[in-house]
Amino acid sequence: MKKISVEEFYRTKKKDFSLSVITNPKTLEKDITSQYLNRPGLAFAGYFERFAYKRIQILGETEISYLQSLKEEDQYNSIKEVLVYDIPCIIVTKGLSLPQQMEFLANEMTIPLLSSRLTTDKLYHSLRKYLGEVFSPSKTIHGSLLDVFGVGILLTGKSGIGKSECALDLVERGRCLVTDDVVKIFAQEDVLFGTSTNEYGHFMEVRGVGLIDVEKMFGIQAVRKQKRIDVQIELMPWKDTMDYERIGLGDNFVDILGVKIPIIYLPVSPGKNVAVVIEVVAMNHILKLYGYDAAKVYTQKLQKDLQKKAKLRHASIEGGE
Amino acid sequence: MIRKTIVIVNKLGMHARPATLIVKAASKYRSDFRIIKEDMEINGKSIMGVMTLAAEYGSELELVADGVDEEFLIKEIAELFVSKFGEE
Repeated sequence: MKKISVEEFYRTKKKDFSLSVITNPKTLEKDITSQYLNRPGLAFAGYFERFAYKRIQILGETEISYLQSLKEEDQYNSIKEVLVYDIPCIIVTKGLSLPQQMEFLANEMTIPLLSSRLTTDKLYHSLRKYLGEVFSPSKTIHGSLLDVFGVGILLTGKSGIGKSECALDLVERGRCLVTDDVVKIFAQEDVLFGTSTNEYGHFMEVRGVGLIDVEKMFGIQAVRKQKRIDVQIELMPWKDTMDYERIGLGDNFVDILGVKIPIIYLPVSPGKNVAVVIEVVAMNHILKLYGYDAAKVYTQKLQKDLQKKAKLRHASIEGGE
Repeated sequence: MIRKTIVIVNKLGMHARPATLIVKAASKYRSDFRIIKEDMEINGKSIMGVMTLAAEYGSELELVADGVDEEFLIKEIAELFVSKFGEE
């Protein structure tokens, strides 16, 4: 199961979510194991059926004003009953001031208590998005990822087939490199995204040359940090026995992290300009998205033509008899 | 060089699917392969070429193979036509 410690969450996101820590820093050792959030209003009111205590608890104005409406003793009991649960983290929004016993009890129970200056709504949505990314299924694969006319092309194939050279060719033609060699892929709501695992920048190895810095060499317009993956292109050595797609009527699909995307098996041979073909794949993908499928259009025209000619032939034979 | 005349016997004529079958079958052989229809002559290993013929039901084609394995090529292609490409 994936998890992230509250300490890491706080360290990486304190700016984005304008967070500050209320309890003592030792409480931050707890782990967040769920990507979902919970508003514990009903729990404070004493209803603990289905209390999702394993989630981060968000306290907004509603919860705080409810607690403050209680008599001191009731307030203490109400908070204590909630905090005996093994809650990973509590965040109070809008920088609201908390009932005094809350901080004391959270420290007692070693539950991290954070304060955010964002509104409940804003924090809720940004935090869900962030946790969605943290907890989304992911894997790394060997390949390159490029943005070709806005289409995310995942380039795969055996080592030495020429992925990097092909990526370089595309960059030289004005397309964008996301990452070369290792692509980190994660799935979010049936969409695949790819990014680099390397934090040093857009470096790539060119056989016989060594390492190059693509951003330095081609400029900032030649690189991207992240891209939705639309099509996979598998480069493979030309084999006479392999059935390559000739018309393009039946799309092949590949399953990555439970998401299906079209895959194209592209034979490469010396002297063949693969970059141009990849641009064509990208443009054809866009045309298909816009509802124009060249293979379908052509074959339908042909079919119509064949039917018309067959009818004419039939008529002329009958007429001749 | 071998020549063989065949007639298209499947109702739909030589549309995309049969054309693909022909091209894929022919591409396995080393011999050159041409198809002639009336005054049109095309390379039988080219999908666009074969579809350009627009050979309808009942039309007549001449298959021409030239090379070391020409007999086998013609035999397999002719069988495809006879089997109506698995259609009606």
